[in-house]
Amino acid sequence: MSNPQKKKNFQIEAFKHKVVVDPKYADKTWKILEHAIHEIYNHNASGLSFEELYRNAYNMVLHKFGEKLYTGLVSTMTAHLKEISKSIEDAQGGLFLEELNRKWNDHNKALQMIRDILMYMDRTFIPSTRKTPVHELGLILWRDNVIYSSKIRSRLLDTLLELVLRERTGEVINRGLMRNIIKMLMDLGTSVYQEEFEQQFLEVSAEFYKGESQKFIECSDCGDYLKKAERRLNEEMDRVTHYLDAKSEAKITNVVEKEMIANHMPTLVHMENSGLVKMLLDDKYEDLGRMYSLFRRVPNGLLTIREVMTSHIREIGKQLVTDPERLKDPVEFVQRLLDEKDKYDSIINLAFNNDKTFQNALNSSFEYFINLNTRSPEFISLFVDDKLRKGLKGVSEEDVEVILDKVMMLFRYLQEKDVFEKYYKQHLAKRLLSGKTVSDDAERSLIVKLKTECGYQFTSKLEGMFTDMKTSQDTMQGFYASHPELGEGPTLTVQVLTTGSWPTQPSVTCNLPAEMSALCEKFRAYYLGTHTGRRLSWQTNMGTADIKATFGKGQKHELNVSTYQMCVLMLFNNSDRLSYKEIEQATEIPASDLKRCLQSLALVKGKNVLRKEPMSKDIGEDDAFFVNDKFASKFYKVKIGTVVAQKESEPEKQETRQRVEEDRKPQIEAAIVRIMKSRRVLDHNNIITEVTKQLQSRFLANPTEIKKRIESLIERDFLERDNVDRKLYRYLA
Amino acid sequence: MRKEDTVKLISAEGFEFVVDKRAAMVSQTIRNMLTSPGSFAETQLGEVTFPEISTTILEKICQYFHWSLQYASGKESEFHIEPELTLELMMAANYLHT
Repeated sequence: MSNPQKKKNFQIEAFKHKVVVDPKYADKTWKILEHAIHEIYNHNASGLSFEELYRNAYNMVLHKFGEKLYTGLVSTMTAHLKEISKSIEDAQGGLFLEELNRKWNDHNKALQMIRDILMYMDRTFIPSTRKTPVHELGLILWRDNVIYSSKIRSRLLDTLLELVLRERTGEVINRGLMRNIIKMLMDLGTSVYQEEFEQQFLEVSAEFYKGESQKFIECSDCGDYLKKAERRLNEEMDRVTHYLDAKSEAKITNVVEKEMIANHMPTLVHMENSGLVKMLLDDKYEDLGRMYSLFRRVPNGLLTIREVMTSHIREIGKQLVTDPERLKDPVEFVQRLLDEKDKYDSIINLAFNNDKTFQNALNSSFEYFINLNTRSPEFISLFVDDKLRKGLKGVSEEDVEVILDKVMMLFRYLQEKDVFEKYYKQHLAKRLLSGKTVSDDAERSLIVKLKTECGYQFTSKLEGMFTDMKTSQDTMQGFYASHPELGEGPTLTVQVLTTGSWPTQPSVTCNLPAEMSALCEKFRAYYLGTHTGRRLSWQTNMGTADIKATFGKGQKHELNVSTYQMCVLMLFNNSDRLSYKEIEQATEIPASDLKRCLQSLALVKGKNVLRKEPMSKDIGEDDAFFVNDKFASKFYKVKIGTVVAQKESEPEKQETRQRVEEDRKPQIEAAIVRIMKSRRVLDHNNIITEVTKQLQSRFLANPTEIKKRIESLIERDFLERDNVDRKLYRYLA
Repeated sequence: MRKEDTVKLISAEGFEFVVDKRAAMVSQTIRNMLTSPGSFAETQLGEVTFPEISTTILEKICQYFHWSLQYASGKESEFHIEPELTLELMMAANYLHT
């Protein structure tokens, strides 16, 4: 009720109450109220009239006895609380908390009743005099007289902490009572809760977990320890939801994390026979997942896991790529890499929450060790070759895609992508020419993948090879259409290859059998007749042939052999025994190729159409060869092992390496010119970084090589050195 | 209306007004009387005596309670107060915390 005093001319007189104000009025009224408060505390309120008490309080305030009423209330309540405090102090042992809780409930109820009857004071007197409202006053008085009572204060804390400890050691405690008491502390104010309980609770917990973790770590392995830590953590969170302030959760979990995890991280991770490395080795997804989720809670936790994992993968990978045993079988080698990648992919997926940072760590580790072995590009290409030759038969299209995608992933790790390209081209050429490719679709799909990865340039030549194959088919049709008389006799299939698109082979022509060379001449005439201005040269080292053979006892077989082998076998049409030297002279096949081809004709069990004297494992210059009359095979068609793509021998490798280096030169130069054209002036270091960046998708350019290229460009007047600053280069248009 | 839903208000002269509890609770004071956790006489009996409020005023107050309920539910109308009652009514309103 406000009393606006705007109308000065109209005076509102104070309302004259009909009760005559006698001097003892205040005391008398207070006595009534005081009595009522006693009755309320004694659970005796049922006879009291609310209206009467309210009216008395109302009148006291109205008659300016508010102060008396308020101080009276404070002293009466204090007296009661002192009594209560005493009865709580007297409570024995376990009853202490219960008594405290009971009295607290009583006090709360009484407080509410008192507040209700004194509401008029709460509404008018207290705000105007800035005193503490009744309810709050009740809480403060409880705090000061009960909780802060010297005999209760420490006992309460000790009792609470002991109950928590008992629960931690597995006993069942009265959680409801705990919750009520904790709730009381929170009702008395956050600071009371923190000072009277939380601070010490956290300290005691830290002490407890410090001891426990020490004990655990001495007697359990990493997996068990993590299980225990996880359980403790969950217990603490459970405790918070059951009877602590929700704000304590972060604090107590922090304590557990620090004491049980953060302080023992290195010990756990490096624990012998059960640490992180062991888990990784054994694919312990569950343990790893647990470690991940626990370590994630503490600073640097994941970093620790990641570092150990990275160094472990690098270690394993390094062993893998440098183990000479492994290098013997490229397909197995790549398969192992893929398996390793799969393994860690699923670990990251199942246990590490698909964490991006872990994926990156995995990728960088693979990139690191794959490039430790300079033969990796070759081996990956060989793996693809193996898959596309035979591995993909009977595999569904999706699976093919999966395998190819995996290969592409390894490819991405390669720094020397141009080396891969080189090998891939060689292997693809062999596949295409021998007609060994299993699936055209798979081949093309891989090329598309390479194209998306490295751009048009990378695959244009590969695609050119496919086009050549296609055109050759048409050419052959045309050839036979214009020579109808060739229906009889041997059939010739020629693939016309564009120089440049195909890997350059040293073109050593061998002497073909007479029947064949006549046919070849006819084709040459036909081809040059239709395409003027072209040149044809024969690549006999890449061809294949199907020949029919009849052996001693009349067994007939169709032999599928290489062109070289065909040349050798045809010689035996005219003689039964030929020495190595004779064969070499007649065919003019290069020695290494001839040896390999004789090896596969005479020394492979079950396919030995030739017999050799003396019977030794190697081909010697003085050996002699016979037709093996006793040759037998279950099959009509016999495929003589052609020289399949194998990993290169050391000199071949050197040669390829050299060719790669040679090919890189123009690319580096082109990159330098492109950069200088747009920048005009640039210093040496920047050129190196820019060039390396530009060429990264193909190979890792060697700085000394770049320097040489720059010098060569200067010589050819593309660039010049700045006259003042010798480190600067200028582009000369 | 059931007995539990009503409350009996008694004036200084002893006149009894039986009012809907919801209406009576427009007064904060009466609300406390009826809902206070302790078992005060008023809560038990369901009646409240006002020895300092005359019948005329109490009647007016009861009218106001009902009017206020309706007003709160969106029905706007005027509540007429006779000028001679104003002062006493204000006193009672302060007391009842209405």
